[in-house]
Amino acid sequence: MTEILRVEGLQKRFGGIVVSDNVHLTIGAGEILGLIGPNGAGKTSLFNLISGVLRPDAGSIYLRGQKIDNAPLYKRARMGIARTWQNMLLFRTMTVMDNLLVGPRDYPGESIVRLTFGRAHVRSAEAAMKGRAMSILARMGLEQTAGSAVVDLPFGQQKLIGLARTLMNDGDLLLLDEPMAGVEGAAYETMQRVVRQEAEAGRAVCVVEHNVSFIRDLCSRGIFMAQGKILQDGTVEELISSAVLTELYFGV
Amino acid sequence: MDYLVTIAISIAIYTILAASYNLVLGYGGLSTVAHPIFFAVGAYTAGLLAVNYPESPAIANVVAGMAAAMVASVLLAASSLRVSGDYLLIASLGFQLGLLQLIKNLEFTGGPGGLSAIPSTIVGPMRGPAFLAICGLAAAACVFIIRAIVNGPYGRAISAMRDEELAFTALGRNAMSMKIVIFAIGCGMAGGAGGLYAYYFQYVSPDQFDVLASAAILTMVVLGGMGTVYGPVVGAILLLAIPQAITFLQLPPAIMAPMQGIIFTLLVLAFLFLRPAGIVGTKGRPI
Repeated sequence: MTEILRVEGLQKRFGGIVVSDNVHLTIGAGEILGLIGPNGAGKTSLFNLISGVLRPDAGSIYLRGQKIDNAPLYKRARMGIARTWQNMLLFRTMTVMDNLLVGPRDYPGESIVRLTFGRAHVRSAEAAMKGRAMSILARMGLEQTAGSAVVDLPFGQQKLIGLARTLMNDGDLLLLDEPMAGVEGAAYETMQRVVRQEAEAGRAVCVVEHNVSFIRDLCSRGIFMAQGKILQDGTVEELISSAVLTELYFGV
Repeated sequence: MDYLVTIAISIAIYTILAASYNLVLGYGGLSTVAHPIFFAVGAYTAGLLAVNYPESPAIANVVAGMAAAMVASVLLAASSLRVSGDYLLIASLGFQLGLLQLIKNLEFTGGPGGLSAIPSTIVGPMRGPAFLAICGLAAAACVFIIRAIVNGPYGRAISAMRDEELAFTALGRNAMSMKIVIFAIGCGMAGGAGGLYAYYFQYVSPDQFDVLASAAILTMVVLGGMGTVYGPVVGAILLLAIPQAITFLQLPPAIMAPMQGIIFTLLVLAFLFLRPAGIVGTKGRPI
Protein backbone atom coordinates (compact mmCIF):
# COMPACT_ATOMS: atom_id res chain seq x y z
CA MET A 1 0.00 0.00 0.00
CA THR A 2 1.43 3.37 -1.01
CA GLU A 3 1.78 5.73 1.88
CA ILE A 4 -0.07 9.01 1.33
CA LEU A 5 0.09 10.71 4.71
CA ARG A 6 2.53 10.30 7.54
CA VAL A 7 2.36 12.25 10.77
CA GLU A 8 5.30 12.13 13.17
CA GLY A 9 5.32 13.24 16.77
CA LEU A 10 2.71 15.94 16.33
CA GLN A 11 2.43 18.17 19.36
CA LYS A 12 0.02 21.04 19.93
CA ARG A 13 -1.26 22.73 23.03
CA PHE A 14 -3.48 25.71 23.71
CA GLY A 15 -2.38 26.97 27.10
CA GLY A 16 -2.98 24.08 29.47
CA ILE A 17 -5.01 22.02 27.02
CA VAL A 18 -3.12 19.46 24.97
CA VAL A 19 -4.97 18.80 21.73
CA SER A 20 -2.26 16.74 20.11
CA ASP A 21 0.16 14.75 22.22
CA ASN A 22 2.91 12.99 20.30
CA VAL A 23 0.61 11.76 17.54
CA HIS A 24 2.05 9.27 15.02
CA LEU A 25 -0.08 8.14 12.13
CA THR A 26 0.10 6.88 8.57
CA ILE A 27 -2.64 6.48 5.99
CA GLY A 28 -2.17 4.60 2.75
CA ALA A 29 -3.80 4.93 -0.64
CA GLY A 30 -7.18 3.24 -0.76
CA GLU A 31 -7.45 3.07 3.00
CA ILE A 32 -10.39 4.43 5.00
CA LEU A 33 -9.25 5.26 8.50
CA GLY A 34 -11.84 5.93 11.16
CA LEU A 35 -10.95 8.41 13.88
CA ILE A 36 -13.12 8.11 16.95
CA GLY A 37 -13.06 9.48 20.45
CA PRO A 38 -15.04 11.63 22.86
CA ASN A 39 -15.64 15.33 22.28
CA GLY A 40 -12.50 17.32 22.89
CA ALA A 41 -10.25 14.36 22.11
CA GLY A 42 -8.38 16.36 19.48
CA LYS A 43 -9.83 14.78 16.34
CA THR A 44 -10.78 18.00 14.58
CA SER A 45 -7.59 19.61 15.83
CA LEU A 46 -5.65 16.80 14.18
CA PHE A 47 -7.44 17.60 10.91
CA ASN A 48 -6.62 21.27 11.41
CA LEU A 49 -2.96 20.41 11.94
CA ILE A 50 -2.81 18.16 8.89
CA SER A 51 -4.63 20.56 6.58
CA GLY A 52 -2.67 23.56 7.82
CA VAL A 53 -5.34 25.55 9.67
CA LEU A 54 -3.18 25.15 12.77
CA ARG A 55 0.60 25.02 13.11
CA PRO A 56 1.97 22.31 15.41
CA ASP A 57 4.32 23.13 18.28
CA ALA A 58 6.45 20.16 17.24
CA GLY A 59 6.39 17.23 14.86
CA SER A 60 6.22 16.81 11.12
CA ILE A 61 3.71 16.00 8.40
CA TYR A 62 4.59 14.24 5.16
CA LEU A 63 2.39 14.02 2.08
CA ARG A 64 3.51 11.30 -0.36
CA GLY A 65 6.83 11.31 1.51
CA GLN A 66 7.34 15.03 1.08
CA LYS A 67 7.59 17.20 4.17
CA ILE A 68 4.90 19.91 4.10
CA ASP A 69 5.44 21.57 7.49
CA ASN A 70 6.05 25.00 6.02
CA ALA A 71 3.21 25.04 3.49
CA PRO A 72 0.25 27.24 4.44
CA LEU A 73 -3.34 26.02 4.31
CA TYR A 74 -4.04 27.04 0.72
CA LYS A 75 -0.85 25.45 -0.60
CA ARG A 76 -1.59 22.17 1.14
CA ALA A 77 -4.97 22.14 -0.59
CA ARG A 78 -3.20 22.62 -3.90
CA MET A 79 -0.95 19.68 -3.02
CA GLY A 80 -4.03 17.53 -2.72
CA ILE A 81 -5.19 17.67 0.90
CA ALA A 82 -8.95 18.03 0.64
CA ARG A 83 -11.15 18.35 3.69
CA THR A 84 -14.71 18.87 4.78
CA TRP A 85 -15.92 20.70 7.87
CA GLN A 86 -18.06 19.67 10.78
CA ASN A 87 -20.38 22.62 10.11
CA MET A 88 -19.91 22.38 6.33
CA LEU A 89 -18.89 26.02 5.72
CA LEU A 90 -20.75 26.10 2.42
CA PHE A 91 -20.80 29.35 0.46
CA ARG A 92 -24.25 30.41 1.57
CA THR A 93 -25.05 33.06 -1.00
CA MET A 94 -24.17 30.82 -3.94
CA THR A 95 -25.77 28.03 -5.94
CA VAL A 96 -24.82 24.38 -5.61
CA MET A 97 -22.92 24.52 -8.92
CA ASP A 98 -21.00 27.65 -7.93
CA ASN A 99 -20.06 26.03 -4.62
CA LEU A 100 -18.57 23.11 -6.52
CA LEU A 101 -16.80 25.34 -9.03
CA VAL A 102 -14.70 26.86 -6.24
CA GLY A 103 -13.45 23.34 -5.45
CA PRO A 104 -10.84 22.60 -8.14
CA ARG A 105 -7.16 23.20 -7.57
CA ASP A 106 -6.65 24.70 -11.02
CA TYR A 107 -8.84 27.71 -11.70
CA PRO A 108 -7.60 29.86 -14.59
CA GLY A 109 -10.82 31.91 -14.48
CA GLU A 110 -9.85 33.38 -11.13
CA SER A 111 -6.79 35.15 -12.47
CA ILE A 112 -7.40 38.67 -13.74
CA VAL A 113 -4.55 38.28 -16.22
CA ARG A 114 -6.02 35.08 -17.67
CA LEU A 115 -9.49 36.61 -17.68
CA THR A 116 -8.21 39.50 -19.75
CA PHE A 117 -5.83 37.76 -22.13
CA GLY A 118 -6.80 34.10 -22.12
CA ARG A 119 -10.55 34.02 -22.40
CA ALA A 120 -10.66 30.96 -24.65
CA HIS A 121 -8.61 28.95 -22.16
CA VAL A 122 -10.80 30.19 -19.30
CA ARG A 123 -13.96 29.18 -21.16
CA SER A 124 -12.75 25.68 -21.88
CA ALA A 125 -11.50 25.23 -18.32
CA GLU A 126 -14.86 26.42 -16.96
CA ALA A 127 -16.71 24.00 -19.23
CA ALA A 128 -14.51 21.11 -18.10
CA MET A 129 -15.03 22.06 -14.44
CA LYS A 130 -18.80 22.21 -14.91
CA GLY A 131 -18.76 18.79 -16.55
CA ARG A 132 -16.82 17.33 -13.64
CA ALA A 133 -19.13 19.00 -11.11
CA MET A 134 -22.19 17.55 -12.85
CA SER A 135 -20.71 14.07 -12.85
CA ILE A 136 -19.97 14.29 -9.12
CA LEU A 137 -23.50 15.54 -8.46
CA ALA A 138 -24.90 12.76 -10.63
CA ARG A 139 -23.05 10.17 -8.55
CA MET A 140 -24.92 11.54 -5.56
CA GLY A 141 -28.23 11.76 -7.40
CA LEU A 142 -28.18 15.54 -6.93
CA GLU A 143 -27.73 16.77 -10.51
CA GLN A 144 -31.16 18.43 -10.45
CA THR A 145 -30.02 20.65 -7.53
CA ALA A 146 -27.15 22.24 -9.50
CA GLY A 147 -28.95 25.55 -10.03
CA SER A 148 -30.53 25.77 -6.57
CA ALA A 149 -29.32 28.05 -3.84
CA VAL A 150 -27.29 25.81 -1.56
CA VAL A 151 -29.12 27.05 1.54
CA ASP A 152 -32.44 25.82 0.14
CA LEU A 153 -31.35 22.16 0.22
CA PRO A 154 -32.24 19.86 3.09
CA PHE A 155 -29.49 19.32 5.65
CA GLY A 156 -28.45 15.87 4.46
CA GLN A 157 -28.02 17.11 0.90
CA GLN A 158 -26.01 20.10 2.12
CA LYS A 159 -23.65 17.63 3.78
CA LEU A 160 -23.29 15.83 0.47
CA ILE A 161 -22.60 19.12 -1.32
CA GLY A 162 -19.86 19.79 1.22
CA LEU A 163 -18.30 16.47 0.24
CA ALA A 164 -18.88 17.10 -3.48
CA ARG A 165 -17.10 20.47 -3.29
CA THR A 166 -14.15 18.76 -1.60
CA LEU A 167 -14.08 16.03 -4.27
CA MET A 168 -13.61 18.72 -6.93
CA ASN A 169 -10.11 19.09 -5.45
CA ASP A 170 -9.26 15.61 -6.77
CA GLY A 171 -6.68 15.27 -4.02
CA ASP A 172 -4.91 12.16 -2.74
CA LEU A 173 -6.01 12.71 0.83
CA LEU A 174 -9.59 13.22 1.96
CA LEU A 175 -10.25 14.39 5.51
CA LEU A 176 -13.93 14.10 6.39
CA ASP A 177 -15.01 15.79 9.60
CA GLU A 178 -18.22 14.19 10.90
CA PRO A 179 -19.80 13.59 7.50
CA MET A 180 -22.73 11.73 9.07
CA ALA A 181 -23.69 14.12 11.87
CA GLY A 182 -27.39 14.84 11.38
CA VAL A 183 -27.59 12.76 8.20
CA GLU A 184 -30.03 9.91 7.74
CA GLY A 185 -31.98 8.04 5.11
CA ALA A 186 -30.97 8.24 1.47
CA ALA A 187 -28.17 10.73 2.11
CA TYR A 188 -26.62 8.25 4.56
CA GLU A 189 -26.46 5.51 1.95
CA THR A 190 -25.10 7.93 -0.66
CA MET A 191 -22.41 9.26 1.65
CA GLN A 192 -21.21 5.78 2.44
CA ARG A 193 -21.17 4.69 -1.20
CA VAL A 194 -19.33 7.78 -2.41
CA VAL A 195 -16.69 7.62 0.32
CA ARG A 196 -16.08 3.97 -0.48
CA GLN A 197 -15.78 4.72 -4.21
CA GLU A 198 -13.26 7.46 -3.48
CA ALA A 199 -11.10 5.05 -1.50
CA GLU A 200 -11.37 2.46 -4.27
CA ALA A 201 -10.13 5.13 -6.67
CA GLY A 202 -6.91 5.18 -4.64
CA ARG A 203 -7.41 8.08 -2.28
CA ALA A 204 -6.46 7.92 1.36
CA VAL A 205 -9.51 8.76 3.46
CA CYS A 206 -9.68 9.70 7.12
CA VAL A 207 -13.08 10.04 8.75
CA VAL A 208 -13.89 11.62 12.11
CA GLU A 209 -17.22 10.22 13.13
CA HIS A 210 -19.33 9.54 16.20
CA ASN A 211 -21.62 7.23 14.30
CA VAL A 212 -19.99 3.90 15.18
CA SER A 213 -22.02 1.84 12.73
CA PHE A 214 -20.89 4.11 9.90
CA ILE A 215 -17.28 3.58 10.94
CA ARG A 216 -17.81 -0.17 11.27
CA ASP A 217 -19.41 -0.43 7.83
CA LEU A 218 -16.80 1.64 6.11
CA CYS A 219 -13.41 1.61 7.76
CA SER A 220 -10.69 -0.95 7.47
CA ARG A 221 -8.80 0.52 10.38
CA GLY A 222 -9.65 2.68 13.34
CA ILE A 223 -7.88 4.97 15.74
CA PHE A 224 -9.15 5.92 19.15
CA MET A 225 -8.14 9.29 20.53
CA ALA A 226 -8.67 10.92 23.90
CA GLN A 227 -7.07 14.04 25.37
CA GLY A 228 -4.90 14.51 22.32
CA LYS A 229 -3.40 11.02 22.49
CA ILE A 230 -3.86 8.02 20.26
CA LEU A 231 -4.89 5.30 22.72
CA GLN A 232 -5.45 2.50 20.26
CA ASP A 233 -4.81 1.79 16.60
CA GLY A 234 -6.28 -1.36 15.09
CA THR A 235 -9.22 -2.91 13.33
CA VAL A 236 -12.58 -1.34 14.08
CA GLU A 237 -13.75 -4.55 15.75
CA GLU A 238 -10.80 -4.43 18.15
CA LEU A 239 -11.57 -0.84 18.98
CA ILE A 240 -15.20 -1.41 19.66
CA SER A 241 -14.61 -4.46 21.82
CA SER A 242 -11.89 -2.80 23.90
CA ALA A 243 -13.15 -2.40 27.45
CA VAL A 244 -11.13 0.76 28.19
CA LEU A 245 -12.42 2.56 25.16
CA THR A 246 -15.99 1.48 25.72
CA GLU A 247 -15.82 2.98 29.16
CA LEU A 248 -14.20 6.21 28.00
CA TYR A 249 -16.37 6.66 24.99
CA PHE A 250 -19.74 5.25 25.86
CA GLY A 251 -19.52 5.67 29.60
CA VAL A 252 -20.78 2.14 30.34
CA MET B 1 -24.34 75.59 -19.17
CA ASP B 2 -20.87 75.49 -17.62
CA TYR B 3 -22.54 74.92 -14.32
CA LEU B 4 -24.39 71.86 -15.56
CA VAL B 5 -21.24 70.50 -17.22
CA THR B 6 -19.38 70.85 -13.94
CA ILE B 7 -22.11 68.95 -12.13
CA ALA B 8 -22.05 66.23 -14.77
CA ILE B 9 -18.26 65.93 -14.47
CA SER B 10 -18.57 65.69 -10.68
CA ILE B 11 -21.13 62.95 -11.14
CA ALA B 12 -18.78 61.03 -13.45
CA ILE B 13 -15.87 61.37 -11.02
CA TYR B 14 -17.98 60.38 -8.02
CA THR B 15 -19.39 57.46 -9.99
CA ILE B 16 -15.83 56.14 -10.29
CA LEU B 17 -15.30 56.69 -6.56
CA ALA B 18 -18.56 55.07 -5.49
CA ALA B 19 -18.27 52.17 -7.91
CA SER B 20 -14.70 51.38 -6.89
CA TYR B 21 -15.55 51.75 -3.20
CA ASN B 22 -18.39 49.31 -3.76
CA LEU B 23 -15.97 46.83 -5.33
CA VAL B 24 -13.80 46.97 -2.22
CA LEU B 25 -16.52 47.17 0.43
CA GLY B 26 -19.62 45.65 -1.13
CA TYR B 27 -18.05 42.84 -3.12
CA GLY B 28 -14.71 42.33 -1.42
CA GLY B 29 -16.15 42.73 2.08
CA LEU B 30 -13.10 44.83 3.04
CA SER B 31 -14.26 47.37 5.60
CA THR B 32 -12.21 50.43 4.83
CA VAL B 33 -13.21 54.06 5.21
CA ALA B 34 -10.09 55.46 3.59
CA HIS B 35 -11.30 55.57 0.02
CA PRO B 36 -11.06 59.39 -0.30
CA ILE B 37 -7.39 59.31 0.64
CA PHE B 38 -6.61 57.26 -2.47
CA PHE B 39 -8.62 59.82 -4.41
CA ALA B 40 -6.34 62.40 -2.78
CA VAL B 41 -3.16 60.47 -3.57
CA GLY B 42 -4.18 60.37 -7.23
CA ALA B 43 -5.21 64.03 -7.28
CA TYR B 44 -2.03 65.26 -5.59
CA THR B 45 0.26 63.02 -7.62
CA ALA B 46 -1.23 64.16 -10.93
CA GLY B 47 -1.51 67.78 -9.73
CA LEU B 48 2.07 67.97 -8.47
CA LEU B 49 3.44 66.41 -11.64
CA ALA B 50 1.44 68.87 -13.72
CA VAL B 51 2.58 71.87 -11.66
CA ASN B 52 6.24 70.89 -11.50
CA TYR B 53 6.58 69.43 -14.97
CA PRO B 54 4.19 71.49 -17.12
CA GLU B 55 5.43 69.70 -20.24
CA SER B 56 4.53 66.23 -18.98
CA PRO B 57 1.59 64.58 -20.76
CA ALA B 58 -1.62 64.76 -18.74
CA ILE B 59 -2.55 61.17 -19.39
CA ALA B 60 0.78 59.94 -18.01
CA ASN B 61 0.23 62.04 -14.88
CA VAL B 62 -3.26 60.63 -14.33
CA VAL B 63 -1.87 57.11 -14.76
CA ALA B 64 0.89 58.00 -12.30
CA GLY B 65 -1.81 59.11 -9.85
CA MET B 66 -3.53 55.79 -10.31
CA ALA B 67 -0.28 53.89 -9.76
CA ALA B 68 0.57 55.91 -6.65
CA ALA B 69 -2.86 55.16 -5.18
CA MET B 70 -2.37 51.45 -5.92
CA VAL B 71 1.02 51.40 -4.22
CA ALA B 72 -0.41 53.22 -1.19
CA SER B 73 -3.30 50.75 -1.01
CA VAL B 74 -0.99 47.74 -1.13
CA LEU B 75 1.07 49.24 1.71
CA LEU B 76 -2.06 49.63 3.82
CA ALA B 77 -3.56 46.25 2.88
CA ALA B 78 -0.41 44.20 3.29
CA SER B 79 0.14 45.55 6.78
CA SER B 80 -3.41 45.53 8.14
CA LEU B 81 -5.12 42.63 6.34
CA ARG B 82 -2.55 40.22 7.68
CA VAL B 83 -3.89 40.38 11.20
CA SER B 84 -7.64 40.26 10.65
CA GLY B 85 -10.24 41.94 8.48
CA ASP B 86 -11.60 44.06 11.30
CA TYR B 87 -8.32 45.82 11.82
CA LEU B 88 -8.62 47.31 8.39
CA LEU B 89 -11.38 49.64 9.55
CA ILE B 90 -9.20 51.20 12.23
CA ALA B 91 -6.01 51.05 10.19
CA SER B 92 -7.70 52.69 7.20
CA LEU B 93 -9.06 55.52 9.33
CA GLY B 94 -5.62 56.10 10.83
CA PHE B 95 -4.05 55.93 7.40
CA GLN B 96 -6.48 58.49 6.01
CA LEU B 97 -6.09 60.96 8.87
CA GLY B 98 -2.33 60.49 9.03
CA LEU B 99 -1.79 61.04 5.34
CA LEU B 100 -4.08 64.08 5.39
CA GLN B 101 -2.01 65.60 8.20
CA LEU B 102 1.08 64.94 6.16
CA ILE B 103 -0.41 66.70 3.14
CA LYS B 104 -1.49 69.63 5.30
CA ASN B 105 1.95 70.04 6.82
CA LEU B 106 4.20 69.55 3.85
CA GLU B 107 5.31 72.56 1.89
CA PHE B 108 5.39 71.16 -1.61
CA THR B 109 1.75 70.00 -1.43
CA GLY B 110 0.58 73.53 -0.72
CA GLY B 111 -0.20 72.76 2.93
CA PRO B 112 -3.68 73.44 4.31
CA GLY B 113 -4.28 76.01 1.55
CA GLY B 114 -4.21 73.30 -1.05
CA LEU B 115 -2.51 72.86 -4.38
CA SER B 116 -3.57 75.49 -6.88
CA ALA B 117 -2.66 76.67 -10.37
CA ILE B 118 -2.69 73.19 -11.84
CA PRO B 119 -2.26 73.89 -15.56
CA SER B 120 -5.28 73.40 -17.73
CA THR B 121 -4.40 70.97 -20.48
CA ILE B 122 -7.48 71.66 -22.53
CA VAL B 123 -8.38 75.29 -23.22
CA GLY B 124 -11.09 77.07 -25.15
CA PRO B 125 -14.88 76.86 -25.16
CA MET B 126 -14.90 73.12 -25.59
CA ARG B 127 -12.95 72.51 -22.39
CA GLY B 128 -16.01 71.52 -20.35
CA PRO B 129 -17.57 69.17 -22.89
CA ALA B 130 -14.17 67.59 -23.61
CA PHE B 131 -13.58 66.90 -19.92
CA LEU B 132 -17.11 65.61 -19.61
CA ALA B 133 -16.50 63.15 -22.44
CA ILE B 134 -13.22 61.97 -20.89
CA CYS B 135 -14.65 61.62 -17.38
CA GLY B 136 -17.83 60.00 -18.67
CA LEU B 137 -15.82 57.45 -20.64
CA ALA B 138 -13.57 56.79 -17.66
CA ALA B 139 -16.60 56.24 -15.42
CA ALA B 140 -18.20 53.91 -17.97
CA ALA B 141 -14.93 52.01 -18.29
CA CYS B 142 -14.66 51.59 -14.51
CA VAL B 143 -18.22 50.32 -14.20
CA PHE B 144 -17.63 47.97 -17.13
CA ILE B 145 -14.39 46.62 -15.64
CA ILE B 146 -16.04 46.12 -12.24
CA ARG B 147 -18.94 44.32 -13.89
CA ALA B 148 -16.48 42.03 -15.68
CA ILE B 149 -14.66 41.35 -12.41
CA VAL B 150 -17.70 40.54 -10.28
CA ASN B 151 -19.48 38.43 -12.85
CA GLY B 152 -17.97 35.16 -13.94
CA PRO B 153 -15.29 33.06 -12.25
CA TYR B 154 -13.49 35.86 -10.47
CA GLY B 155 -16.70 37.18 -8.95
CA ARG B 156 -17.61 33.67 -7.89
CA ALA B 157 -14.32 33.44 -6.02
CA ILE B 158 -14.90 36.85 -4.41
CA SER B 159 -18.36 35.76 -3.18
CA ALA B 160 -16.94 32.51 -1.86
CA MET B 161 -14.21 34.36 0.00
CA ARG B 162 -16.73 36.73 1.55
CA ASP B 163 -19.08 33.88 2.52
CA GLU B 164 -16.54 31.54 4.12
CA GLU B 165 -12.95 32.61 4.00
CA LEU B 166 -11.66 29.53 5.83
CA ALA B 167 -13.33 27.06 3.47
CA PHE B 168 -12.24 29.18 0.52
CA THR B 169 -8.62 29.06 1.66
CA ALA B 170 -8.81 25.34 2.36
CA LEU B 171 -9.86 24.83 -1.26
CA GLY B 172 -6.49 26.16 -2.34
CA ARG B 173 -7.15 29.87 -2.70
CA ASN B 174 -4.89 32.58 -1.38
CA ALA B 175 -7.52 34.87 0.15
CA MET B 176 -4.90 37.37 1.27
CA SER B 177 -3.55 38.03 -2.20
CA MET B 178 -7.06 38.17 -3.62
CA LYS B 179 -8.01 40.87 -1.11
CA ILE B 180 -4.90 42.85 -1.93
CA VAL B 181 -5.70 42.66 -5.65
CA ILE B 182 -9.31 43.80 -5.16
CA PHE B 183 -8.18 46.58 -2.86
CA ALA B 184 -5.50 47.73 -5.30
CA ILE B 185 -7.91 47.78 -8.25
CA GLY B 186 -10.53 49.75 -6.30
CA CYS B 187 -8.03 52.22 -4.88
CA GLY B 188 -6.27 52.58 -8.23
CA MET B 189 -9.57 53.62 -9.79
CA ALA B 190 -10.06 56.17 -7.02
CA GLY B 191 -6.56 57.48 -7.76
CA GLY B 192 -7.42 57.83 -11.43
CA ALA B 193 -10.56 59.74 -10.49
CA GLY B 194 -8.36 62.02 -8.40
CA GLY B 195 -6.12 62.73 -11.39
CA LEU B 196 -9.13 63.71 -13.51
CA TYR B 197 -10.43 65.87 -10.68
CA ALA B 198 -7.13 67.73 -10.34
CA TYR B 199 -6.95 68.46 -14.06
CA TYR B 200 -10.52 69.67 -14.37
CA PHE B 201 -10.86 71.76 -11.22
CA GLN B 202 -7.17 72.82 -11.27
CA TYR B 203 -7.22 73.01 -7.50
CA VAL B 204 -7.15 70.41 -4.72
CA SER B 205 -7.32 71.04 -1.00
CA PRO B 206 -6.82 68.53 1.81
CA ASP B 207 -10.21 69.18 3.43
CA GLN B 208 -12.16 67.63 0.59
CA PHE B 209 -10.66 64.20 1.34
CA ASP B 210 -11.52 63.97 5.04
CA VAL B 211 -13.93 61.63 6.81
CA LEU B 212 -16.95 63.61 5.55
CA ALA B 213 -15.94 62.58 2.05
CA SER B 214 -15.81 58.96 3.24
CA ALA B 215 -19.34 59.36 4.55
CA ALA B 216 -20.54 60.86 1.28
CA ILE B 217 -19.15 58.00 -0.82
CA LEU B 218 -20.49 55.45 1.64
CA THR B 219 -23.93 57.06 1.42
CA MET B 220 -23.83 56.82 -2.36
CA VAL B 221 -23.00 53.12 -2.18
CA VAL B 222 -25.60 52.32 0.49
CA LEU B 223 -28.34 54.33 -1.19
CA GLY B 224 -27.73 52.92 -4.63
CA GLY B 225 -27.28 49.38 -3.43
CA MET B 226 -24.14 47.84 -1.96
CA GLY B 227 -22.87 44.83 -3.87
CA THR B 228 -24.71 45.73 -7.07
CA VAL B 229 -23.01 46.89 -10.26
CA TYR B 230 -25.19 49.89 -11.04
CA GLY B 231 -26.22 50.89 -7.52
CA PRO B 232 -23.25 53.22 -6.92
CA VAL B 233 -23.95 54.96 -10.23
CA VAL B 234 -27.50 55.70 -9.13
CA GLY B 235 -26.23 56.74 -5.70
CA ALA B 236 -23.66 59.14 -7.13
CA ILE B 237 -26.20 60.77 -9.43
CA LEU B 238 -28.76 61.16 -6.66
CA LEU B 239 -26.42 62.52 -4.05
CA LEU B 240 -24.91 65.08 -6.36
CA ALA B 241 -28.15 66.05 -8.11
CA ILE B 242 -30.31 66.49 -5.00
CA PRO B 243 -28.24 69.32 -3.48
CA GLN B 244 -28.26 71.09 -6.84
CA ALA B 245 -32.01 70.70 -7.09
CA ILE B 246 -32.36 72.29 -3.69
CA THR B 247 -30.35 75.33 -4.78
CA PHE B 248 -33.04 76.04 -7.35
CA LEU B 249 -35.42 76.63 -4.47
CA GLN B 250 -33.44 79.83 -3.78
CA LEU B 251 -33.44 79.34 -0.03
CA PRO B 252 -31.21 81.61 2.04
CA PRO B 253 -27.74 80.11 2.68
CA ALA B 254 -28.39 79.90 6.42
CA ILE B 255 -31.06 77.31 5.74
CA MET B 256 -29.42 75.68 2.74
CA ALA B 257 -26.38 74.16 4.44
CA PRO B 258 -28.17 72.42 7.31
CA MET B 259 -30.92 71.46 4.88
CA GLN B 260 -28.53 69.31 2.85
CA GLY B 261 -27.24 67.53 5.91
CA ILE B 262 -30.76 66.87 7.11
CA ILE B 263 -31.86 65.51 3.74
CA PHE B 264 -28.84 63.17 3.46
CA THR B 265 -29.32 61.90 6.99
CA LEU B 266 -33.03 61.33 6.42
CA LEU B 267 -32.28 59.50 3.19
CA VAL B 268 -29.79 57.16 4.86
CA LEU B 269 -32.16 56.51 7.77
CA ALA B 270 -35.09 55.90 5.46
CA PHE B 271 -33.09 53.47 3.34
CA LEU B 272 -31.72 51.58 6.32
CA PHE B 273 -35.25 50.95 7.55
CA LEU B 274 -37.21 50.63 4.33
CA ARG B 275 -34.81 49.35 1.74
CA PRO B 276 -31.50 48.17 3.22
CA ALA B 277 -30.44 46.64 -0.10
CA GLY B 278 -30.51 50.05 -1.76
CA ILE B 279 -32.34 51.28 -4.84
CA VAL B 280 -30.83 48.79 -7.27
CA GLY B 281 -30.48 45.89 -4.81
CA THR B 282 -33.23 43.29 -4.97
CA LYS B 283 -32.76 41.40 -1.75
CA GLY B 284 -31.22 41.76 1.66
CA ARG B 285 -27.52 41.23 1.31
CA PRO B 286 -25.95 39.07 3.98
CA ILE B 287 -22.56 40.55 4.72
